[in-house]
Amino acid sequence: MSFLTATDITVRDGAQTLLEPLSLTVTPGEPLIILGETGSGKSLMAQAIMGTLPAGLRAQGEVRIGAHTLSASEPRRFRGLWGREISVLPQEPWLSLDPLMRAGTQVTEAHRLVRGLSAADAKARASSDLGQLGLTAAARHYPHQLSGGMAQRVAIAAARAGGAGIVIADEPTKGLDAARRDDVADLLLSEMGDNGGLLVITHDLALARRMGGQMIVLRQGKVVETGATETVMSAAREAYTRALLAADPESWTRRAPSRRDGPPVVDVHGLSVARGGRELFSGVGFDVAAGGVFGITGPSGCGKSTLGDAVLGLVAPAAGTVTRRADIGPHGFQKLYQDPVAAFPRKRRLGETLNDVARMTGESARVAPLLEQLGLSPTLLERRPGAVSGGELQRLSILRALLRRPALIFADEPTSRLDPITQARVIGMLGEIAMTEGTAILLVSHDAALVRNTADAVLPLGKTVLPEPQPDAASVATAPH
Amino acid sequence: MSTAELYTQPARLPVARSLGASLVILVAAVALIGPLLIPGDPLAQSLLKALSGPEATAPLGYDHLGRSVFHRLCAALMLSPLIALAAVLTAGAAGLILGTLSAAMGGWVDTVLTTLADALLALPGLLLVLIVLAMVPGTATGFWIGLSLVLWVEFYRLTRAATREVLVSPSVEAARLLGFRAPYIFRTHVWPEIAPLMLTTAAFGIATAIMAIAALGFVHVGMRAPTPELGLMMVELLPYWREAPLALLSPAIATFALLLGLTLLAGSRET
Repeated sequence: MSFLTATDITVRDGAQTLLEPLSLTVTPGEPLIILGETGSGKSLMAQAIMGTLPAGLRAQGEVRIGAHTLSASEPRRFRGLWGREISVLPQEPWLSLDPLMRAGTQVTEAHRLVRGLSAADAKARASSDLGQLGLTAAARHYPHQLSGGMAQRVAIAAARAGGAGIVIADEPTKGLDAARRDDVADLLLSEMGDNGGLLVITHDLALARRMGGQMIVLRQGKVVETGATETVMSAAREAYTRALLAADPESWTRRAPSRRDGPPVVDVHGLSVARGGRELFSGVGFDVAAGGVFGITGPSGCGKSTLGDAVLGLVAPAAGTVTRRADIGPHGFQKLYQDPVAAFPRKRRLGETLNDVARMTGESARVAPLLEQLGLSPTLLERRPGAVSGGELQRLSILRALLRRPALIFADEPTSRLDPITQARVIGMLGEIAMTEGTAILLVSHDAALVRNTADAVLPLGKTVLPEPQPDAASVATAPH
Repeated sequence: MSTAELYTQPARLPVARSLGASLVILVAAVALIGPLLIPGDPLAQSLLKALSGPEATAPLGYDHLGRSVFHRLCAALMLSPLIALAAVLTAGAAGLILGTLSAAMGGWVDTVLTTLADALLALPGLLLVLIVLAMVPGTATGFWIGLSLVLWVEFYRLTRAATREVLVSPSVEAARLLGFRAPYIFRTHVWPEIAPLMLTTAAFGIATAIMAIAALGFVHVGMRAPTPELGLMMVELLPYWREAPLALLSPAIATFALLLGLTLLAGSRET
């Protein structure tokens, strides 16, 4: 018997079709993975199945959840099933937990109000749920006292408290590093057990590989490929799926080193940075060669972005020195941001922003050739940042930085919000720029494979105090973690 | 970015705002064009006509001293909105400049200004206006200074909060790294974010100011008779509500329409 069957689900925005007819079945004990890039319609599909589409969008099709048969065009009727039959695992657990309520109380509340248990029963169930997840001690804590992983488990306990057999996890690993990602995958699998239904929506190939089960690959609202996850990932039939899989940093070919000889662009020596009274790292030393890609990687919270900011002079170091090559001007170091949308003035057309920069630097003639080099359409310049895809916007950020002819670009998790194909493209372009422009790239990413396959030298930043590496950057790549 | 964000809801027709704008324009049109169409003097008395009904030269009848209510109303509708507008412009400029300075400089500048703003906030607004009225010769000037002192705090607090948020955003950091200076950053990053807030606050501020002038007039501590002023007109005509209901209702309705119009125009404080 299947838990969840959706037949011919479509989503339209007026006359425009955003999701073409899609049918799926979630069987107990076997996760169903929906894989797709940003804008592929995978989140819309989940919202159509849940009856939570944003106003203005219309869904059609039939959804069978357990013993209930509903029409996707009547989202109101889904409300009674939320929490009891079908539940959603929130994307970023810290944001979905109530910051003013203890973890245990939040789970108790769900038991009491959604499942309808008495106060005493709800409390007992909540503490046993949390105990099973290894969170007995955390029940008395507030969300800000929990680690990310613990918050995620509390959110899972609260989402499951209503007794829903089917869990929809929408990008459950967004913004997590590799170790935490695997934890979440294992947790989801163990929570599903043998007779729960699990629908995972993701663009994360590593997560998909670990979850197994069945897979649907979506692209621009159309189904590209379906099949067992293992089969799809090892022997994809469609060209698009193969491109998607090839874009996984694990399977990239290593980039040829591009560092140039001569004095380093920046020399970092014995650097320590503290934030809020806590020392993030100390005694870090390295140098970045012109035209080279220098990678910094490590788990989230290890201070790798702060290290980059310290190199740019945006954060004052507690100890140590950052020495720029003498001929580099005050604007010779530029930065790319994790969220490119936030890096542009929100209400200004992109073309105006770029023109302002080009006018200031006197590089107006370079805009058009750079647009072409970065594969960007000039029509994008008419739009505002919110109306351009993340990949295009990140490339526009690169373009904007290049108008300053920088000696170094600090790329702070530049692709963590992009889908794999776009990620491969943007990282490839950064490598090319290092090669052709001689700009040094300081690449910070939580993705060790991405950094390993892109950078000429890698600095692994952990929670431990690092030994001072040799001044030769290349040797840092082999420094023990 | 979740897919939902890409498809924003179609903008709801700003019915409330259009209605508010129409009301304000209507009241302004009456005040500006009325005296041109039907010339008359708001101070001329004709005791024989005291409390008599409407006629061609006085469409709203006469008050207890035989003055044309219509012309007094038109004059009143010119007086307090103009004082209010002047006060809001001064307060808005002061709040914007000080708020931006506070957010950009931080440190002791921020501490001093915020403490001052908080101290003023602790004082009842009308009391502050009254104190200034007692000190400053000339009632209109007194209202202008007093109301500006009351109103700048809100502009200051909003500007400071919004500007601080914008200044720590990646977009401003990127602009600084690229070499843009403070005026550019204010013009392209800060102002577009706070302009809608400023306009909303200005509309509310004008309504508050008109209300304050009328309230103080109503309790005989604002504008002095015989100046035509909305609150003063109401309190003068209150004893004659039975004989001349229209004369009493006219300033009340005009004030209500103006305040409702401004409040609707301001919209919700979230925008």
